[in-house]
Amino acid sequence: MAAGLGRLGLLVCRQNVESLLRPARAAPTCLLVPVRTKRRFSVPNWNREQSLEEKEKKLRALRAVAPEEHVERTFYLACTAAIIDPYVPPEGDARLTSLSKEGLKQKVEKFKQSAVSQLALRKLKDHDPNFSTKTFPEKAQEIFTEAHNCLANFNKQKLHSLVTERCYSEMVRGNRYKTIRWSFVESLEPPRVVHVRCDSMVNRGNLYGQVTVRMHTRQTLAIYDRFGRLMYGGEQVPKDVLEYVVFERHLVNPYGTWRMHGKIVPEWAPPKDPIVKTVMIPGPTLNPSQEFEEIK
Amino acid sequence: MAARRAAGAGCAWARGLLGWARPERLLASGSVFPLSCIHTSTSLEKLGKWERKNRIVYPPQLPGEPRRPAEIYHCRREIKYSKDKMWYLAKLIKGMSIDQALAQLEFNDKKGAKVIKEVLLEAQEMAVRNHNVEFKSNLYIAESLTGKGHYVKQIRYHGKGMFGIMKIVRCHYFVKLVEGPPPPPEPLKTGFDQAKEYVQQLRNRTITNTL
Repeated sequence: MAAGLGRLGLLVCRQNVESLLRPARAAPTCLLVPVRTKRRFSVPNWNREQSLEEKEKKLRALRAVAPEEHVERTFYLACTAAIIDPYVPPEGDARLTSLSKEGLKQKVEKFKQSAVSQLALRKLKDHDPNFSTKTFPEKAQEIFTEAHNCLANFNKQKLHSLVTERCYSEMVRGNRYKTIRWSFVESLEPPRVVHVRCDSMVNRGNLYGQVTVRMHTRQTLAIYDRFGRLMYGGEQVPKDVLEYVVFERHLVNPYGTWRMHGKIVPEWAPPKDPIVKTVMIPGPTLNPSQEFEEIK
Repeated sequence: MAARRAAGAGCAWARGLLGWARPERLLASGSVFPLSCIHTSTSLEKLGKWERKNRIVYPPQLPGEPRRPAEIYHCRREIKYSKDKMWYLAKLIKGMSIDQALAQLEFNDKKGAKVIKEVLLEAQEMAVRNHNVEFKSNLYIAESLTGKGHYVKQIRYHGKGMFGIMKIVRCHYFVKLVEGPPPPPEPLKTGFDQAKEYVQQLRNRTITNTL
């Protein structure tokens, strides 16, 4: 009998079964509301990864809203940081006597031939009409002597007025607990102006003038350490010294003065005397298994 | 009665507890600097007497005088160790040369030995670099002292509601290095020396109002 029903029979049977399961009542049209049972995680808008351009846009917007307040602390530039266009002293300077031909050639003021120096000198004279290359070297030597005496006596106030800030730090570094005895014996040759430069810092009209003076002098220097023991030099040992000292002045400032700015040490200068004590230079660091002879 | 006394004492202790059992507030090191200040060094902190001894400058010696030996003062403050325990190590190395002292401290098992060794090495480095000492081994330890640091009191809880007051103990360590070979140790006083002294004391007695 089941076989006799065939396919039709099967369909009818299914429909009957379905009607049993779902009684045919008037069912209202229901709204399909999606029920979120699983909490999905999503990155919020403000935390998602942004490309560089978006980041820049956001930063620019913030900058307009809350601009960075610059805490301004004014400072005054009283001196330049370095020597402008340092003078290159000719080799063999002060090695030849002035009687020979080469000596005479050196003696001829090459400074007059340099054009840039002439221009700078003209600018200097605009701001300071009393400046003269004939009288300035003497004054410069006086400033030089006074400054070194102040250094030996630790007269800081006077030293600041004679020497620029850059030179001051170079002179005073490491000398706090030392005693320095310096004396100027004599000047072997009259000092002369060798090099002039003029330059402006930060703004265009803010002019600083630098003048290099060549001095050939005899000096004595003795440095004692904290316990009064001689570290360098000797008090009764005068030395001949050839120096190129740079003096600087803030031209725009009407109360500016010429102050020592630095020294130029040529490459061919003779080496300085060694200090009294011996210094240990540490050798190469070795592994425990290595020997020093192997590395050598 | 003991219990009553303990209770009475407990009340006093409890009152006292409010006094110094406060949470430890570290001393404000330095003052508050304004934002625009460039100088932010430690120079404004108060320097101790031992640190200031490194700043004295002697006048230059005349050529005939014997060479003045260099003296270097160094210290470390607020070491977390007991001053009494540290004293044993300080007494150990007093009078030794610096190399010998470093060797002894390296193989000592105490906690303070490591600290003192660091201090000695720092002092040696300072001596060579800043105080014009020529040979770093040519130093000996002239003085080596300990001092009491800041103590902090805390409660140590025992059973049955009992408590004890615990001290967090700190110490300072001071050392003075002098340039030169270590001085030879003083010879021990023998019995014969003591006898000689006694006899000399007897001979020094005088009878008053006589020839």
